[in-house]
Amino acid sequence: MPIGLVTRLAWRNLWRRPRRTIIMVVAIALGIWSMIALGAVVRGMLEGQIDKEIFNLTGHIQIHAPGFTDDPVVDNSMPAASPALGAVLDQAAVAWAERVRVPAVVASERESTGVSLLGIDPTQERGLSFIGDGVHQGRELTSITDRGIVVGRKLLERLETDLGKRVVVMSQDRANEVADRGFRIVGVFHAEMEAVEEGFAFVGRSVAQDLLKMHDQISEIGVLAHDRDDLDELLTTLGTRAPELDVQSWRELKPLLVLTNKIVDVMLYIWFVVVFMAMSFGLVNTLLMAVYERTREIGLLQALGMRPTLILGQVSMETLFLLLVGAVFGNLCVWATLLWFADGIDVSRFAQGVQMFNMSPIMQPLATLQDIVAANLIVLGLGLIASLYPAWRASRYVPVEAITRT
Amino acid sequence: MRLQQNIHRTGSAAGTWRVLLAVAALALCTAAATEPRETPARETPPRDAAAIIQDAIEYWRDVSSYSITEMIIHRPTWERAMTLRVWTRGQKESLVRVTEPAKDAGNGTLLIDNNMWTYTPKINRVIKVPSSMMSMNWMGSDFSNNDLAKADDLIEYYSHRLIDTQTVDGHTVYHIESIPHEDAPVVWGKEVVQVRDDLIVLEHAFYDQDMVLVKKLSTLEIKTLGGKAVASVQRMQKIETPEEWTQIGVTEAQFGVEVSDYTFTLANLRQPVL
Repeated sequence: MPIGLVTRLAWRNLWRRPRRTIIMVVAIALGIWSMIALGAVVRGMLEGQIDKEIFNLTGHIQIHAPGFTDDPVVDNSMPAASPALGAVLDQAAVAWAERVRVPAVVASERESTGVSLLGIDPTQERGLSFIGDGVHQGRELTSITDRGIVVGRKLLERLETDLGKRVVVMSQDRANEVADRGFRIVGVFHAEMEAVEEGFAFVGRSVAQDLLKMHDQISEIGVLAHDRDDLDELLTTLGTRAPELDVQSWRELKPLLVLTNKIVDVMLYIWFVVVFMAMSFGLVNTLLMAVYERTREIGLLQALGMRPTLILGQVSMETLFLLLVGAVFGNLCVWATLLWFADGIDVSRFAQGVQMFNMSPIMQPLATLQDIVAANLIVLGLGLIASLYPAWRASRYVPVEAITRT
Repeated sequence: MRLQQNIHRTGSAAGTWRVLLAVAALALCTAAATEPRETPARETPPRDAAAIIQDAIEYWRDVSSYSITEMIIHRPTWERAMTLRVWTRGQKESLVRVTEPAKDAGNGTLLIDNNMWTYTPKINRVIKVPSSMMSMNWMGSDFSNNDLAKADDLIEYYSHRLIDTQTVDGHTVYHIESIPHEDAPVVWGKEVVQVRDDLIVLEHAFYDQDMVLVKKLSTLEIKTLGGKAVASVQRMQKIETPEEWTQIGVTEAQFGVEVSDYTFTLANLRQPVL
């Protein structure tokens, strides 16, 4: 097949009606741009959500006593990490921390509210969770025997108390009796989400163990690995070292996130297909028009001996050029958009609504290679298939009829 | 299982208690023979503020007591009265049982140390009041569960200081400022207790950590009941809402009575022998 000839004809044909071609290129570019840009925004949102959730005391892996996940009370606690387990964690994890985590009530003179009380080792939390990054007012906890408490800004507001004042923490100890103690608020942390600011209170781990009569026991071990999508090996090792404990990855701990991820995947592909459908009608229409305009010419070519396959190839090639030009512009637009929003999209104006979905006020768009390839393939591949119909129509012309048509 | 353990614990302590009771009763008898009951402190004035508080609490609780009390919960638009029977023994055990009105009759609250259980006949359930509920109000009144459960914390968790002494109606009134320790499970910034020289608490005021008065329990009437002078009518009032208060009036009281061990058990809470 004389590829050179077909290519040249196709390329020239494409620009015989520049305005029509440009409109179609814009349509294709827009389609691709909308697919990838929307995908990037949604994925960025999701990525931010996962990162935040992991930094929000979830980590990549958590180890608990069996039953803790179902009923996170003081009874479901476990001994501190054994040397064997500790050795594995020291070697394989970026950071890991032993925590006490119990439901508790914090009361001031006027109000009281329920929180998750965390007994932490401040040095272990560095880089592992947000509390390791320090506090915004006052000071952070200094050791596991620190006698102060660190709470969120919103909790402070809710309890109508202030930095430097005392609050009472009440919970249930190992003997199922009321455990309570006064703590002075030494630090206040800020978080992007109000739920976090309101839901957590931090004390020294040893102080918490004394209060709850847990001795050396802990509620959980939080682990941060190198890559959150490559945990299987570490999970297996930890599972064999601590067979009596629950070792769970963030995927098991936060199934909603994983589900959201899947839903987003499906939604994006539906969106891709919808955009493509709209685009393909325009494409087929344009091609049919182009072929119809050239009825006499195609008839002449056939009469001069050009085989129908070449006609078909020529129209297909024309479509391919059209799609390629559109795709190039579309991807350029995407690139420009991502560059423009490189610092993230500030949606803090809608902060309250945004928080409902557990999102952060700054969205960082994230274009994945997977989405870019998928969008381009859908447009090019399906576009070519859609063009087969006009191309086939063109190749089916009977030369005599075609030439005589006016 | 856990409940059983608790019951068991109470039971095993019973022997000790009986001895204590006997000794205390003996002491009281001799005291009653030599001096008037209502002024045990006048002969030897209390040495320091902590001792006054301790004596006042011991005087109020006595070794054991049984009383009938009327509680009035007042709100701007309504008022409700309940009749309660209260048994106490030492500083750690008490039982409160509602007898009137009929729709609340049988409701009970059992306190052993810092733990609290309630019983509601309508649902036939004993519920252990969880720590999260301890700062909620008790039966809709202006008292919190903590106010009941921790009445004697004043001895354990505070430093006391005598800030003023006044003479009212021929009695000396000690104003004692009590500041909670750093780790104390107390939200208040300070409490000021006014104790008369015959160990009757005239006022107990609660200040927040900015030292602003939040609520106070004041004694409105002092009467001789069960052989000694007691604060017979007391009112708990939050300063921010002057139209809302809870008043408790003791109508009948006996002190130093024999209270059976069975009184302070979950079984008794569940099946009241009124």
